[in-house]
Amino acid sequence: MLLNLIKRPHWSFGALVIALCLLPGWGLAADMGNCLLCHKYPGLSRIDNDGKMKLMFVNEEIFNKSVHSKVKCEGCHTDITKIPHEPAKPVDCLTVCHIIEPTSEQKFSHKSVKKFIDEAVHSKIDGEGKPKKFNEDMPNCKDCHDNPLFRPLAFVKKVRPGVAEDAMGRCRVCHEKEDFIFRFYNHITTRLHKSRSPLNIAEACGKCHDDKEMVKRHGLTIMAGSSYADTFHGKAANLLSETIPDCLDCHVVKGKSVHQMYGNDDPRSSTHPENRGAICNSVDCHPKASVKFANYQVHPVYDREKSPVVYWFTTFFYVLTGGTLLPLMIILFLDLLRRLFPNATFKRRK
Amino acid sequence: MKNFLTKIYILAFMALVTYFGVIIWNLTFAHVIHEYHERHAEKAEYSEEDIAQQKKDKQSFEQVILESEKRVKSYLGYRVLEQQYIEGHFHHIGFDVGPDKYSYCSSCHGDMPHDNVTKDMRAFLNMHAFLIGCQTCHSRPDGEMATGVYQWYDRETGEIVESPVNDATPGTYKSKIIPFVLENDSLVRIDSKERNEFVAQYRLNEKDLSEGQRSRAKKLIHSVVAKKPVICEECHTKENPLLPLENLGYSKRRVDSITSTEVVGMIKNYTKFYMPQMLHPGVADDAVQQHQQVTPVVPVAPEAAGEAEE
Repeated sequence: MLLNLIKRPHWSFGALVIALCLLPGWGLAADMGNCLLCHKYPGLSRIDNDGKMKLMFVNEEIFNKSVHSKVKCEGCHTDITKIPHEPAKPVDCLTVCHIIEPTSEQKFSHKSVKKFIDEAVHSKIDGEGKPKKFNEDMPNCKDCHDNPLFRPLAFVKKVRPGVAEDAMGRCRVCHEKEDFIFRFYNHITTRLHKSRSPLNIAEACGKCHDDKEMVKRHGLTIMAGSSYADTFHGKAANLLSETIPDCLDCHVVKGKSVHQMYGNDDPRSSTHPENRGAICNSVDCHPKASVKFANYQVHPVYDREKSPVVYWFTTFFYVLTGGTLLPLMIILFLDLLRRLFPNATFKRRK
Repeated sequence: MKNFLTKIYILAFMALVTYFGVIIWNLTFAHVIHEYHERHAEKAEYSEEDIAQQKKDKQSFEQVILESEKRVKSYLGYRVLEQQYIEGHFHHIGFDVGPDKYSYCSSCHGDMPHDNVTKDMRAFLNMHAFLIGCQTCHSRPDGEMATGVYQWYDRETGEIVESPVNDATPGTYKSKIIPFVLENDSLVRIDSKERNEFVAQYRLNEKDLSEGQRSRAKKLIHSVVAKKPVICEECHTKENPLLPLENLGYSKRRVDSITSTEVVGMIKNYTKFYMPQMLHPGVADDAVQQHQQVTPVVPVAPEAAGEAEE
């Protein structure tokens, strides 16, 4: 479509583009196909034959603050070529979209992610390329990712994206396009800290790793999300700390993609017994931590067989607390009962 | 009196002590017992059949309907984005519209009632159902009853409210449009209190009604439903649209948009409508028009569809 415009410029269309560019906010929109003509309505929805709700609404304001805001709708929904259209096919995240990757000057794609995933612990296939048992449990892209939103550093102002006007002012010295400045600033500052808060990361992993049946099916020994929540790290994450380690900080080798996550028994894994020492003693966490420190039970579970020390220690405190407070409650209750019925007795009165 | 108050005080205190006792039990010994049972539960290998059975077991009302209404929060640092969780939904929603708690139609048919029409149309019709009361399209007051008066009502309380259109993002209103009719020389909304109460009574007593009573009640409830509902072109037209859009608070710009060539053209050339022609400069008009076969689709009300089949 765009190629047509470039090849055959049309003066009236050019005038229209100029006019539209003058409208505030237009520069951010990726809606060249005018898809929002319908998809801006939140009620655009239906119930599928299998009873699942399908919502076709796109919140333009939020979409424009996402990392995909520059991608045109047709860039992902490639099967849609006319309006109105047939029910859209599921999006293939590995599709080549219209964005040009600036370093290679090639069209952008997430294809490299598949290469990483196929070798990783969450792959649907094993080392020989055969489907794994219960491979339908393995996550697809959307099981972990929704549309990633820009999270510019928020320390500047807590009530709006952390856009530092001073920094933007410096950008404007050389760069003229406001759209470019806004996007580039967000692109960089979003990546200067975690892409999602530790709590959101733990929740995303917990969708599967806290599913009791799924955990059993795959022979895992712990509910990783809930056991993380019991730790000091998990409690800080629950209080929305941004500096506390989440699942990815320990389970991904520093400098690698989050998609390169391997099983604990894989020598490439950050959590392999021989590599664990490097997790805790990173310069950002506990620089002087020993290997022994890193091998402590990170995911404690209250289970006599899996964690006997944790089990007996916790049981002692359960018994101590319950054994002290419950009798106290019983005595209080009986005392109140006597005050309610001061003359009641089980003995027969003479 | 003092004695009575003392007794009340003691009873309240006993309830409090019991409450604390339950909490302490749940926080202490209940964990020990739970762990014991978990440890002694049968450890079984899972087969494909087990998985199928587990999925089947998950079809209970609680799991399919109640638990499906999960909410998620995204912590963006400067903002917490809270929204409904829809499995497999990629885009963020960002706000809640909430169900129509007043409409007696929605109480049975739900807020997304259109599924008897073609696949392509149901989402469009459901989209309209979010801001237009069912009776606006599915009843055609004629003769003396017709007034041409329409107003907005609050989805939560049912009260008539001011137009929410100004400055709001299209379709994000907490209100819906309802027609007014003439009854006994007075202007009343078509979903009057009496009608609402009639439906509420029917739903309350439905189980105890005989077959005949049930059929009569349904007939009366649906008596305002027209055989042929209002179709898209009746509102999406510049010439005398059914809905008085300007009176309903739509600005001139919005009215122009609703009745624009893009929208009207899309409806008219429903089955073969390609991207707006302005995005195909240089392409001959004839070539585009050849692809645009006029096959308007008329949505039919569920009841009317049923009658037609009979």
